[in-house]
Amino acid sequence: MRRIGIDVGGTFTDVVLLDQDAGQVWSTKVPSTPHNPADGAMAGLLEILSLSGTEPDAVGFVGHGRTIATNMIIEGKGARTALLTTEGFRDILEIRRAWRHDRADLYDLFFENPPDLIPRRLRREVRERVLYDGSVETPLCEEQLDQCLAELKAAGIESIAICFLNSHLNPAHEERARARAKEQVSGCFITSSIEVNPEIMEYERTSTSVMNAVLGPRCSQYAQNFQDGMRDAALTAPVYFMQSNGGLMPPEVVGHRPVTLLESGPAGGVTAAVRLCERLGVANAITGDMGGTSFDVSLIRDGKPEIRNDTLIKSYTVRCPNIDIISVGAGGGSLTWIDEGGGVRIGPESAGADPGPACYGRGGTRPTVTDCNVVLGYVDPDSFSAGGMRLDVEAARRAVHDVLAVPLGMSDIDAARTARTVANALMAQAIRLVTVERGYDPREFAYVPFGGAGPVHAVDLARELQLPKVVLPPLPGLFSAFGMLVADMLHDLQASIVKTLEEISPEELEGRFAELEAQAYQLMREAGIDPERVKIERRADCCYLGQGETMLIELASDRIDQATLDRLSADFEREHARQWNFTQPDRPVRLVNIRLRAVGKIGTQDSGAGEVAQRSGPAKPFGEAELHLPEGRHSVPRYWRADLRPGDAFPGPLVVEEPSTRLPIGPTDTLRVDGDHNLVVEVARS
Amino acid sequence: MDTVTYEIIRSGLYAAAREMKVAMMRTAASPIIHSGGDCSAAIFDAKMQLVAQGNDIPTMMGSAVISTKATVEAIGVENLRPGDVICSNDVYLGGGNHQPDVQLTRPVFLDGEIIAYTMTRGHWVDIGGTAPGSFTPVTWDIHAEGIRIPPVLLFRDDKPVEDLFSMIVHNTRDVDNRVLDIKAHYAGTFVGDQRLVEIARKFGADAVGQAMERSLDYSETLTRARIREIPDGVYEGSDWIEPVGAQGWPDDLIPVKVKVTVDGERMLFDYTGTGPQVRGGVNCPFSVTCNSTWFTVKAITDPTIPINQGCYRPVEIVCPEGTVLNCTYPASVVSGVTETSPRIIDMLLKTLSQAVPDRVIAQSHDAACSGIFSGLDPVEARCKAFRRKYVSQLDIHAGGLGARPDKDGINGIRVHVGNTGSQSVELVEHLHPVTIERWGYVADTGGAGRWRGGLTTERVYRVEFDEANLTVIAERGRVAPEGLFGGKPGAVFRSTILHPDGSVDKLPSKGAYAVVHSGDRVSIRPAGSGGYGDPLDREPWRVHADVLDGYVTVASARTDYGVVISDDLATVDEEATRELRSRMRQAPNAAPQSAENAVVA
Repeated sequence: MRRIGIDVGGTFTDVVLLDQDAGQVWSTKVPSTPHNPADGAMAGLLEILSLSGTEPDAVGFVGHGRTIATNMIIEGKGARTALLTTEGFRDILEIRRAWRHDRADLYDLFFENPPDLIPRRLRREVRERVLYDGSVETPLCEEQLDQCLAELKAAGIESIAICFLNSHLNPAHEERARARAKEQVSGCFITSSIEVNPEIMEYERTSTSVMNAVLGPRCSQYAQNFQDGMRDAALTAPVYFMQSNGGLMPPEVVGHRPVTLLESGPAGGVTAAVRLCERLGVANAITGDMGGTSFDVSLIRDGKPEIRNDTLIKSYTVRCPNIDIISVGAGGGSLTWIDEGGGVRIGPESAGADPGPACYGRGGTRPTVTDCNVVLGYVDPDSFSAGGMRLDVEAARRAVHDVLAVPLGMSDIDAARTARTVANALMAQAIRLVTVERGYDPREFAYVPFGGAGPVHAVDLARELQLPKVVLPPLPGLFSAFGMLVADMLHDLQASIVKTLEEISPEELEGRFAELEAQAYQLMREAGIDPERVKIERRADCCYLGQGETMLIELASDRIDQATLDRLSADFEREHARQWNFTQPDRPVRLVNIRLRAVGKIGTQDSGAGEVAQRSGPAKPFGEAELHLPEGRHSVPRYWRADLRPGDAFPGPLVVEEPSTRLPIGPTDTLRVDGDHNLVVEVARS
Repeated sequence: MDTVTYEIIRSGLYAAAREMKVAMMRTAASPIIHSGGDCSAAIFDAKMQLVAQGNDIPTMMGSAVISTKATVEAIGVENLRPGDVICSNDVYLGGGNHQPDVQLTRPVFLDGEIIAYTMTRGHWVDIGGTAPGSFTPVTWDIHAEGIRIPPVLLFRDDKPVEDLFSMIVHNTRDVDNRVLDIKAHYAGTFVGDQRLVEIARKFGADAVGQAMERSLDYSETLTRARIREIPDGVYEGSDWIEPVGAQGWPDDLIPVKVKVTVDGERMLFDYTGTGPQVRGGVNCPFSVTCNSTWFTVKAITDPTIPINQGCYRPVEIVCPEGTVLNCTYPASVVSGVTETSPRIIDMLLKTLSQAVPDRVIAQSHDAACSGIFSGLDPVEARCKAFRRKYVSQLDIHAGGLGARPDKDGINGIRVHVGNTGSQSVELVEHLHPVTIERWGYVADTGGAGRWRGGLTTERVYRVEFDEANLTVIAERGRVAPEGLFGGKPGAVFRSTILHPDGSVDKLPSKGAYAVVHSGDRVSIRPAGSGGYGDPLDREPWRVHADVLDGYVTVASARTDYGVVISDDLATVDEEATRELRSRMRQAPNAAPQSAENAVVA
């Protein structure tokens, strides 16, 4: 079967095609078309078909991810949306928690409040009230609801979010309002909060639902346009969309829960890394995705990516499971500068695409991380980006000289090296956040770099953190797109429990999980997935009674009995002690939510290895590069990655080059090529 | 030390401080900490100077500069050993900010030497004293505010000292939560310790010490550079703080005064002339006055300068002892830090508007505006589920942030040194016998101006306790938040109890506790905030948009802004607006302002 992965970013669309039988891989990059996003995506699809000589009907699978949903929120270009709330509470969305933690430096009197997702005039109150125990105090006033809906219809609303107080305990009013809205405002996108996030805390639930509503119309339209485009191109393969949890979903779900798409771009890369780990038999890995503006880190533990249940987009809370990705403003395009106290700083400002780094020769005069790498020889001016653009070394050097070297009173090389080291420290800090600060020892993790700039810093970073091994997969510059074509389908479901482990019986808990399971199997059936290919995972959000934050604890998927509950309690306490160095054994453990993940096995285990290089005799370097390593200046051999074959092994120092990036290796490290064409570096201790 | 090592250590210190706070929030049991975030963390060097903090509550951080040193010296550095954690809250014995904010301080050892201290501070919902919630201002002296914890070793060898632990927690009204909260404090100091030791093992204790010193010097240098940009001169200002509003107590407003001298790269704040300390918990210990001053300097110089004690070195503070801004034993202090302190900041901002009009903002609501219900929970199932009968519900309320020189203020937000959030409505109802009937903005409470002040919020609780004790404590019940440069004042604080029979009790900003019963409706509404610039200069389309969004009423658009809006709200009547505005400009004194926003001095 031939599979296609397509990742639509803000500037470029990456496309990868894999022939599973022949083990061949093709890839391409085309410009994205933000005004009509499906056009760019279709152009990429058609190009990969012609590049690989693939007939449309030979394609059996299309996996699709996009960052457009995120951009839509950031740029405020979502649908014209209204919110229906309980009478007395229309300002919940704007007040949030009334504090400044997520929106401001606390000493800054001039901070900008994040823009309203919905202006107050479109936040409408409906008479109804459900109490803390789920009982109805004030029945839903249908007359008022209908009048409200008529007004919104007249105002040309495209989307409506409904979030009533305590609806997670009794959804009747929300369900009724949803039904009325569907009848009365035809063609409008309707989201009720319990469909998206049935969980206590009204601001977070409202914010999540509103985000879903704001995204809904454009995302469904996009899914439709993309499918129409595929049909016009005679592509009959099923298409799946990547979610921020790292799994795919069918296009119909895009129309209901687009909020799950929010961070799908980075999730693709992490998913590809999970597959890589499975093939390597590696349980623990750290991924580092370094692009133009940011460095994104995530953690894979026991073969699974770490998941968090909420995230902030433009300082609005979104509560749905997503891969836990820590991002710092240290990408290749991040500006390096000297502050007034003489400190070397990186980012967060970036040179962007225009003018870009100074070495792009488009008039940029402020040095970026990439410029420092050019000056030091880590990035080669000729082989950068497949030779499509020759980099201007002199411009890079001049920027480093003027902005860094002169104020620091250093040579250009030392100044560039200093800035590079500071950038590495910033990235190392991000990796510490996901490892050391969560009680994990980074020395037990392999490092998987990707993105254009990821490999350029990989070995130094690994050394700094004492990570023993760097694994550079094939196609590091298109790794996210590759992730889209190997991923499985995922449905994450959640239900609110809010009882201590003493209060809940094994039977009740089993029953609640069974309800979720039935829902999950239904969703899978609708997507055409055979139940035999569905795997169920169970988790629980636990805390000590009274605590506000929970820990995610795994449960075995066999039938729940008292022993399961005892194990859950013990696992929670162990995790609590590991992170916080204390337990409170006399305090009951509370089960706040249960979570069910259904994995539909539609992905593949294939690597992106491609063909084995044809050559006679050992691999030969094609030239030499001047590298200013931390140890000093070295003249090192250059290898083309395409010339390397499984089993090749070399001692450092050297560089390996490929169209999208370059991997520099230090004098005391060694490189080998494994059976999947991964470049494996054994990193020497510093 | 090379720049790189310095940068790595420096960023590591700030990251550790941030992580300490996360540890506290994730493990605490009181909603005010885990959901309201009323806690903070910092790292101090071996000389007890504050070298790093997270994006934490300023009010807890500035005063920690004083309390940490006082706390450690009270025990004696020579008496400390690894695994020790000191606990303290007392403003007179440990340099604290007010009694409910309890501090844990931990020496960080490497190879037998103290290389740093980690510190966490959190607000305990109850520390005993005369009223549940320990937040009544109607107190004769500091003893009435709750348990006084002088600096004591509460943990040794990373284990609680059980007798002392038990003694302390049983002097609070919610023992179970307290136990977990203290452990949360402890977890914070512990993770900070781990990170510091790790950094010091890698780079050496000396390098860490040097980096700390350099970081302090660095922030000092930047702050001095910014102060140089402020025109030299002497700027004077004054204001009035509201007294405790208990029957038979003096009800005169309390005078506060300041003289700010800007001299090259240093600033002197002299509070001489401020009134003597008063009966009731509105006094500030000196640590709080320092913090109010330091906050202001940081805000008007450059908030992006990495924050540490170095920022405060160019600042000198003079305040006579025995005044309301430098009180001495036995004065009570509970609202000094939450209400008086932001009022002092507003006084400073207004005073400095003479020097840096584009670096200051109009006045704000300036209060934590706490509302505390305490009593027996009548719902048996909930008592059983939470294993308690007696329950305290503490909520913080948010008003307006003053208008800025180039933009509006912000609606419903915590301002200045305070930053504890309001609690989730659903969480409050889940935990306590109250139902919240409304939570939203109140129109016209933001002062009119070229830029409008932020609106306040109102939260209405229906009491479902059979009987409960209610403490409400705020500011600006009598002195409205002023506008700047022609901006009008915002609305004053208001709180009422509406009884089922229709009768209404009005609560003063700092009154005695009230007793409420099932069916009573308690409304709590902090002050709004002032406008900036002449409201007649505000573009009519902005006023129109505010009317459509219900932030401003049609009546206020006309009387305060001179903007005439059509009956169907669809358009601005431009001609009528021009005419009205020109009339109002000619007779500026005739321009009315919302009656409620009047200053009642």
